[in-house]
Amino acid sequence: MSTIWQSLYLLVAKGLPTTILLTLALLGMGILLGFPIAFLQVYGYRPIRWFCRGYEQVFRGIPALVLILLFHSGLSRSFGILLPPFVSGLIALGLRSSAYQSQIFRGAIQSVSEGQMLAARSVGMSKLQAVWRIVLPQAFRLSIPPWTNEYSSVLKDTSLVSAIGVLELLKQTTLIFTRVQFIHGSRWILVILILAALIYWVLTYFGNAGLGFLENRMRIPGFEVKGQVER
Amino acid sequence: MGPEQKHTLGETVLRVEGVHKTYGDNHVLRGVSLQMRRGETKVIIGPSGTGKSTLLRCINQLTIPDEGHVWLGDREITHPKEDINRARAQIGFVFQSFNLFTHLTALKNVRIAPMKVNGMGKVEATKLAMTELERVGLADKADAYPAELSGGQQQRVSIARALAMSPQLILFDEPTSALDPELIGEVLSVMVSLAKEGMTMLVVSHEMGFARAVADEIIFMEGGGILEQGPPEQLFRNPQHARTGEFLNKITELYGE
Amino acid sequence: MKKTSVIILSLVLAIGAFTLAAFAETYKVASDTTWPPFEWADAEGNLLGFDLDVMRCIAMLQGFQIEISSYDWDIIFDDVGSGRMDIGASGATIKPERELKVDFSAPYWTSDQAILVRTVPDPENPGQFLPEINIVEALAGGYRIGAQLETTGAGWIEDQVIAKGFDASLNEYTLYPLAVLDLINGNVDAVIQDEPASVASATAEDAIMVAGVIKTNENFGFFVAEGDPKGLLALIDDGVEQLKDLGVYDNLIAAYMGTDLVKVEEAWRASIGLLESGDIVGFASQLAALANE
Repeated sequence: MSTIWQSLYLLVAKGLPTTILLTLALLGMGILLGFPIAFLQVYGYRPIRWFCRGYEQVFRGIPALVLILLFHSGLSRSFGILLPPFVSGLIALGLRSSAYQSQIFRGAIQSVSEGQMLAARSVGMSKLQAVWRIVLPQAFRLSIPPWTNEYSSVLKDTSLVSAIGVLELLKQTTLIFTRVQFIHGSRWILVILILAALIYWVLTYFGNAGLGFLENRMRIPGFEVKGQVER
Repeated sequence: MGPEQKHTLGETVLRVEGVHKTYGDNHVLRGVSLQMRRGETKVIIGPSGTGKSTLLRCINQLTIPDEGHVWLGDREITHPKEDINRARAQIGFVFQSFNLFTHLTALKNVRIAPMKVNGMGKVEATKLAMTELERVGLADKADAYPAELSGGQQQRVSIARALAMSPQLILFDEPTSALDPELIGEVLSVMVSLAKEGMTMLVVSHEMGFARAVADEIIFMEGGGILEQGPPEQLFRNPQHARTGEFLNKITELYGE
Repeated sequence: MKKTSVIILSLVLAIGAFTLAAFAETYKVASDTTWPPFEWADAEGNLLGFDLDVMRCIAMLQGFQIEISSYDWDIIFDDVGSGRMDIGASGATIKPERELKVDFSAPYWTSDQAILVRTVPDPENPGQFLPEINIVEALAGGYRIGAQLETTGAGWIEDQVIAKGFDASLNEYTLYPLAVLDLINGNVDAVIQDEPASVASATAEDAIMVAGVIKTNENFGFFVAEGDPKGLLALIDDGVEQLKDLGVYDNLIAAYMGTDLVKVEEAWRASIGLLESGDIVGFASQLAALANE
């Protein structure tokens, strides 16, 4: 029994902070890159739109682990660029999240009905004013549900960087169960894995709850969301 | 009111000359011209697809015409160097589907353009917005969101929104077509008061009761052009074209007076 | 005489350690810390094991600092080879294919492979166990063998069993403990792994035991980036020799090989302070003593 408490402590103290930090950093990077890309894809000139579409296809189309290895080993083997594992993981998964998030934002912007834009222009707003004051506030609210999905996905993606030596929750889990197996037997591997799964579940649950709270605060009374953006 | 003038008509507010618009193979507007004097109310009727809505949108440049010119007062707003946003700020537009800003309350819907387009201060704009909401009979719904309002209420708020900019004229694009029958009345009565107060209004609608009550002129469009125009009673009793008479009879049957 | 010189040497080193610590270079050590008794993490998250403590002692001797990171076995050669990590200390067998990516130190350990199988109760001796299948059956009787990816054990099965036409199949795992778990659950029938780890696994569980040992005489080496740009191999080899002379090496062996893991962990936590203050010899001897109590 004390093994369980010990393991839980180790997971939370040594694995969890990195996982949380990575998740937040990835989501942040995803917004910072993804939103401009979405914006440009809806409102930009054709060559820019074409570039944004390409960006989205590339970073959504490559499996996360492949991206991570590309930035980690690929860069070092081919160009001699050595990035610390946390950084290569951050860049690879950050670019990936930005591609998914740009799709979310783009869908949300496009979901705002054209009539809103027409009405805004008809009272004399410039295109920029119309986008900023009328379209984006509505798009923001429409983004929240699919973004909650993105949060869950990114949280789970962080476990992939254990492959390149970042000590986050999953890696910590393997370190613990290896030891526990040698001392108490292999059945304990399952126990440790369940503990780790519980922690991931708690993170997902509270993250979703927080986002749900935000969604409620931003809710427009009586307004039903027509059509969600799928990942 | 009918053929008598309800008030003195003023200077020319709007002049539309030779507007053409083609979508793909469809030559929707074939050289339409009209003009509006201050205080006039004109109602455009015609079969669907004949370009009535397109015409309205070409006037405030929500749709750019392929050919033709539009003057607001003495400024040509179709001129490439003209600031179209400024022109639009002086032309009110009421949509068939209301298009209220869904994330803003009725009050904020009405005051946002005066504040952000005309630079009015918040206090002043709020007062103005409340005045306009009262004018359309919805002062008590100032803090309601569009989704909480009925269709008729939403349309009235959208009229208030247009009024708040003190436009030179207001374009109405089938303002009651999307409303349940019980709600049409409240919107029409607002429009009637506006007409009687001297607002310049160009309305696309089938509501003949409204037209006969306040229109100075009915414009009958068909096939992308104006077939006939004139005071309502003249068109009803003595149309120049048989087609006009047919059409008027049909919509009177369907929509009543 | 030898004992006095050892004491004097330790004192000198202790003083030296304090002085050098301030100016020491820090090297990054990569290790797949899922492999007792060579490297693993204890219940508090401390990284210990034979390889790691040898490295720590060498660092103390040679006057540099080390930072140990837990790395996945699959990329450890790439990352040390490219120079992202300075030293690899992970029970790595010296193999020509690996020498293409990294440079190895002189061998510091010799190991064989062992085959783990499930047990069945011994009908004649209650409380004792027999192997479910013997080593010949395990390797040629049409059974499934598990191994960790990219280990010499996996390689041996591919080259010496499957390629030679013997009837067996190979399942590969990213982590050795997962292979053992599958053995217990019946998803594979045998697991091949270096002997010390196999013995450690078998000691922990009644459900498995060592069916036999394959003498492969593999040499373990520490490894560094190709070309050894920082000149570390000389320091490492020299360090190993010194540790052997000091008796530290033998004490570490006594502490880690064949002892109870929990005891070693307690012994390590009790003794590590000695190493940190520079008393390498004291650390090793106390570790060995406590681990074997």
